[in-house]
Amino acid sequence: MGELGPVTTELLGVVRDGTDDKALAARICQACVRGLGVDGAALSLLTATEARQTLWATDPVAERLEELQFTLNEGACMEAARTGAPVLVPDLHHCTRTTRWPLFAAAVGEQTAVAALFALPLQWGAINLGVLDLYRAVPGALSEAERLDALAAADTAALMLLDQRTDPDNRFGGWLDHALGSRAEIHQATGMVLVQLAVSAEDALARMRAHAFVHQRLLIEVARDVVARRLVFTEDMM
Amino acid sequence: MRGSEREQQLSRAFVALADTLVADYDVIALLDQLVDHCTTLLDVDAAGLLLGDSRRELRVVAATSEDAELMELLQLQADEGPCLECYRTAAPVSVADLADTATRWPTFSAAVADIGAFRSVHALPLRLRGEAIGALNLFRGAPGPLPAPDLALGQALADVATIGILQEQAIRRGEVLAEQLQVALNSRVAIEQAKGVVAQLLDLGMDAAFDVLRRYARERNLRLADVARAVVAREVDRKALLAARRGPDPAPSEHGRRGR
Repeated sequence: MGELGPVTTELLGVVRDGTDDKALAARICQACVRGLGVDGAALSLLTATEARQTLWATDPVAERLEELQFTLNEGACMEAARTGAPVLVPDLHHCTRTTRWPLFAAAVGEQTAVAALFALPLQWGAINLGVLDLYRAVPGALSEAERLDALAAADTAALMLLDQRTDPDNRFGGWLDHALGSRAEIHQATGMVLVQLAVSAEDALARMRAHAFVHQRLLIEVARDVVARRLVFTEDMM
Repeated sequence: MRGSEREQQLSRAFVALADTLVADYDVIALLDQLVDHCTTLLDVDAAGLLLGDSRRELRVVAATSEDAELMELLQLQADEGPCLECYRTAAPVSVADLADTATRWPTFSAAVADIGAFRSVHALPLRLRGEAIGALNLFRGAPGPLPAPDLALGQALADVATIGILQEQAIRRGEVLAEQLQVALNSRVAIEQAKGVVAQLLDLGMDAAFDVLRRYARERNLRLADVARAVVAREVDRKALLAARRGPDPAPSEHGRRGR
């Protein structure tokens, strides 16, 4: 059985102590640069409402990559966010994949020294939490170990961001449990509550977590009550 | 089941699976179809499919029923049970009588006993180059071993699941298995979220809500995961979903059979 890679291990060791998105994004990006043999990393929010924001970039080149995608409205990270699949381009100058975003590929070639680009979507079901972009100044694929570490790290980072954004005041004092990923009732209840309250999936999950906190219950118990229709969320309840 | 009848069912199932595999297809729909075949082709009452995620933890990706008790039995096996053992050893695990496993898997055995519907369980690995990428879980109401032909056929279905996952990767080019698993598992989460949306909008149970999503996707030749994303983003209106819901409510399902 494979061991967890250094980046994933580092992220799992991060204690939730702050309420700041940017500080969390910085830690995620820095861990990637240290552990994945890449030259830079950036983490951007890409939500359905077209709100785009770079939370953190480890250097000006990484920041420039994000700006280019936002300006041109295309690129590896946009593709990753749209499809939910990682976009791994070990050699930007010799890859057919770049034909899907010709303007971005051309601009990167002209304006930066980036030669390899890896975009990892951070998602929770249908919720887009952002994209983690990694680059190298020389062409080259991630090694097998680096690739697996990057994927597991992205999974972990997605959960951390989801936690941060659905519990902004850090009332729970810890990260969302990875095992939540396999609790169908929580996802189903999220869908039901988003209709009940006419809010986004992320806000629906936040409301369920707040309810669990106030009533000193587990999130899974609240979710089961929602699915069994013993609990219906209304705008004025807490 | 008589021999010839089973043979016909079997060829129909494999023709359908082969059909699914040729063009641009939907891996979640394939896996879902596959667990349904398990209950029609094999002498089993319920089936579920679990895949290992990027941290090598098992997560449910398809089940013959949305029944909360069956889902719980599958989900529990992220921590213990025949599926986890099968996943770790890449070898089949057969439990002829679940009454004997209380010390081996206390939580899993207690949950099975609580439900009372299953007496034996079998886990078959999704094999790839000597390792397992997941496991197919078969539940039976009766104790005893699974007959050898059923075991062989179950393993063939598990292999089709593996091929399906790999094939989609080959079609998409360049991506490798780990990415594919991650995408499939995240798609499953999106589908669960979308089921909740449909259940609330149309006042349906989760099984019926899933049927609506599948019909909507099939009628428009869309992938389930794409439909799920659109539904969660509330880009699909209630009327369109209602139109995808034909026929009466499926009867409350017995264990393992999807009511249709």
